[in-house]
Amino acid sequence: MSERVFITGIGMITAIGDNVAGNLQNLRLQRSGLGYSSYIDTIYKSVLPVAEVKQDNASLFAMAGIPETGGYTRTTLLGMVAMREALQHAGITDVQSAPTGFVNASTVGGMCDTEKWYFDIINPEKEGDFIQYIDTLDCADCTQRIADIVGFSEHIATISTACSSSANALMFGARMIKQGLLPRMVCGGTEALTRFTLNGFNSLKNIDKQFCRPFDQQRTGLNLGEGAAYLVLEGETFARANNSRILGELSGYCNTNEAFHPTSPSPDGDGAYEAMKTALAMSGRTLDEVQYINVHGTATLNNDVSEGKALERLFGTEVPLFSSTKPFTGHTLAAAGAIEAIYSLLAIQHNLVFPNLHFSERMEELSITPVTELMEGQSVNNVISNSFGFGGNNASLVISKYEG
Amino acid sequence: MAAISPQDTFDGNIFSAPLVHTNSNRFSCVEPDYKPFIPANSLRRMTRVLKIGLTTALKCIQESGITTPGPIVTGTGKGSLQDTERFIREIVQYEETALNPTPFIQSTYNSVNGLIALQQKCTAYNNTFVHRGFSFENALLDSMLLIQEGAAHTLTGAFEEITAEHFYIKSRIGCWKQEPVDSRELYTHLSPGTIAGEGAVFFTLTGTPTPQSYAAISGFRMLYKPTTDKLAAALQAFAPEADLIITGCNGDSNHAHFYETLDRSFPGIPQLPFKHLCGEYDTAGAFGLWLAAHIIKDQQVPQQWYPTLPPLPAGINKVLFYNHFYGEQHVMILLERVS
Repeated sequence: MSERVFITGIGMITAIGDNVAGNLQNLRLQRSGLGYSSYIDTIYKSVLPVAEVKQDNASLFAMAGIPETGGYTRTTLLGMVAMREALQHAGITDVQSAPTGFVNASTVGGMCDTEKWYFDIINPEKEGDFIQYIDTLDCADCTQRIADIVGFSEHIATISTACSSSANALMFGARMIKQGLLPRMVCGGTEALTRFTLNGFNSLKNIDKQFCRPFDQQRTGLNLGEGAAYLVLEGETFARANNSRILGELSGYCNTNEAFHPTSPSPDGDGAYEAMKTALAMSGRTLDEVQYINVHGTATLNNDVSEGKALERLFGTEVPLFSSTKPFTGHTLAAAGAIEAIYSLLAIQHNLVFPNLHFSERMEELSITPVTELMEGQSVNNVISNSFGFGGNNASLVISKYEG
Repeated sequence: MAAISPQDTFDGNIFSAPLVHTNSNRFSCVEPDYKPFIPANSLRRMTRVLKIGLTTALKCIQESGITTPGPIVTGTGKGSLQDTERFIREIVQYEETALNPTPFIQSTYNSVNGLIALQQKCTAYNNTFVHRGFSFENALLDSMLLIQEGAAHTLTGAFEEITAEHFYIKSRIGCWKQEPVDSRELYTHLSPGTIAGEGAVFFTLTGTPTPQSYAAISGFRMLYKPTTDKLAAALQAFAPEADLIITGCNGDSNHAHFYETLDRSFPGIPQLPFKHLCGEYDTAGAFGLWLAAHIIKDQQVPQQWYPTLPPLPAGINKVLFYNHFYGEQHVMILLERVS
C-alpha cells in the first residue's frame, strides 16, 4: 500500500488575513474581505468589488523578509509571505534538511506588474528600471524566485489549470510522495489581482457589481480576489521519523475534465460529480462520513447550478453541510484550491463550518441551500474541497482528520 | 508521435525532408493544412499556438491508433502569446470597455488542453505544466506517474509560439544573438544568445510496448540550477549507457560550459544537436526527444539535416538526451530501443 500523505504545515495570506490565524479570526467573525481596490489601475476601481490583500507591496516585502528590490512582482511577494508561514508552521528552518519539492500554481504569473510596464517594455525608445520586470510575466518566475529565496532545489514545478491550479498542485505533490519520489513537498498557489483578469472576467459578464452571492437565486457573478497559500505535505514514513506535527491527511483527490465547453461546466455537473465521487472513493470514506463540503461556489450562473446538481446526484437527499468561502476571499483563481484546502483543515481542527455569506434565496434548480451562519462545535472529520476552472478542469480534494 | 516544427515534420518522411534554415535568428513553424483536423468555424477563432497544439495532438492520437481517450498532460512555458498580447493591447485601446473575451479565454495556459479534451470528449485527468524549461518535462513525469498508477496510456505534449513582440522583448535581455546567424552555422557561431524557435510535439505514452512503440524511457532526471559538479555527477550516472547523445547545444556562449561538462562526461560518444532545426524555446526539449525517438526506432539519422555528421554506432540502442534552458532547468532522459 502506498504512503499516506499528511499535512504538516500551512501558510496563507488573503483579503481577510495576512496569516492563518488572521484568516480564521475573520472567518469566525463572518467578516468579508470584499471591497474596492486600492492598488489596481483600472476604471472599475470603485465599480467592481474585489477582495484585495490589505497590504501594499512595501509591506509585503517586509513581511516576506526580502529587501525591497526590483523584479519582485506582487505575485511573488504574496507567495513568499505564505511560504514563510507554511515552513515556519511545519518547523522547517532549512528546506535542505530533507529532500523537499515545490509545486506552485498561478494563472497569470507576474501580470500584475508587467501589465504596468508592458508598453514601455515593447518600446525600443524606452529604457529604465522596468527592464527588471521584463521576464516576470510567465508563471515560472514567481516559482523560481520563491524557490531561490527558500532554497528548494530538488524538484520544482508550476501548474496552470485556471481556477483548479493549486488543487492540482497539491494533487501532483501528493502523487510524487506516494510514488516515493520525494518525502516532503510544499504545494499551493499564488495570485495577485490584475487589470488583465478583472477585464477578462468582466468581458465574459461574469463579475458581480455587488458582493457575490454563491448558490443564491439572485447571484449574478463572481468577485475576484488575491492571495496565496501553501501546504507542507509529508509521506507517512517521513513524517513519523521526523516527528512532524500532523495536522490532517490529504486522503483523496481526483482530477477530471468536463469536455463540454471552453468556459462553462456541463449543466448536470458531470465532471464535478466524477471528481467528488472518485476522490471520496480514494479516501476510503463513505458518503455519510463527509461532514462539510467547501464548494467551488463562484456565484456565476453556470458554476453553481452545475456544482449543486453534482452534489444532489452524489449525495441524494443527504447533502452534507456546504458553503462557499468566496464571499470572504473573493475568487482567488490559482490560489483558491490551496486557500480552501487550508479552510477545510481549519474546519476539522476547530470543529467549525463556515457560513456562505450573502445568501438569501434558494436556487430554483436546486433543493439544497448552503450554511448561512457560522456553526461552532460541529464534529468535522472529512471535508471535500472543490476547485473547478476554465478548460473544463475539475479538481476535488478530500481532507481528513488525523486519527493515527 | 506528431510534431509541427520549423522543419517539415508533420507530413511525409523526415529522413528525406530537406533541411529548412533561417538567417533571421527566428524560426517559425511550417504550418500544415488544419482543415482535416479542425472545423472551419472553430479554426477562424483560434490563434496560431492553439491550432498548432490541437492539430499536433489530434495527429498523434490518430497515429497511435488509440480510440479510448485517456489522460491529457501538456507543458507550455508561455501559452498563447498572441492572445495575451492582444488582450493587453485591447484593454488599453478600448479603455477597458466592450472587450472581446476570446483572447482572454485563449490566453489561459490550459486552453489547448481544454480544446483537446473537448474535441476528443475526453473526461479523464487533464493537467498543464507551465515552468519554462521544465514545462514539458513535468508533463512527462506526471504521465509516467499516471502510467504507474494504472493508466493504459497518456497523451503528453508541449507547444510554444514565438511572436515578433516576444522576440523583441527577449532581445532586450540578450536571449538572442545580436548578429544575424545562419541556423546551419549555429554551433560554430559561439557568441552570447541563440536563435528563437517554436513548435508543438505530442507523444502517446503506454506502460507496455506496442508494435508502434518508438522507444522506451529508462532514465529521467531534472536538475534546477545545478553546480557544474552536480551536473557532472548526474550525467555520470548515465555514463556507461549511451551510445548516442542528442544535445540541446545552441551556440550560446553564456551557457556553453554545461555542454562542455557533457563532452567531458562522454568522451568519444557521438553527439547530435537539434536546435539548428527548431530554435530555442521553453519546450524545445519535446522536439529533441521526438527526434531521439525517431532515430532509435528507425536506426538512422535524418542525414540531410546534418551537413556534418559524426561517425554513428552500428546499432543505436541507447540514446541519452540532455538539454538545458538558459542554464537553469537541466534535463536528462535515457531512451532505449524497444525490441
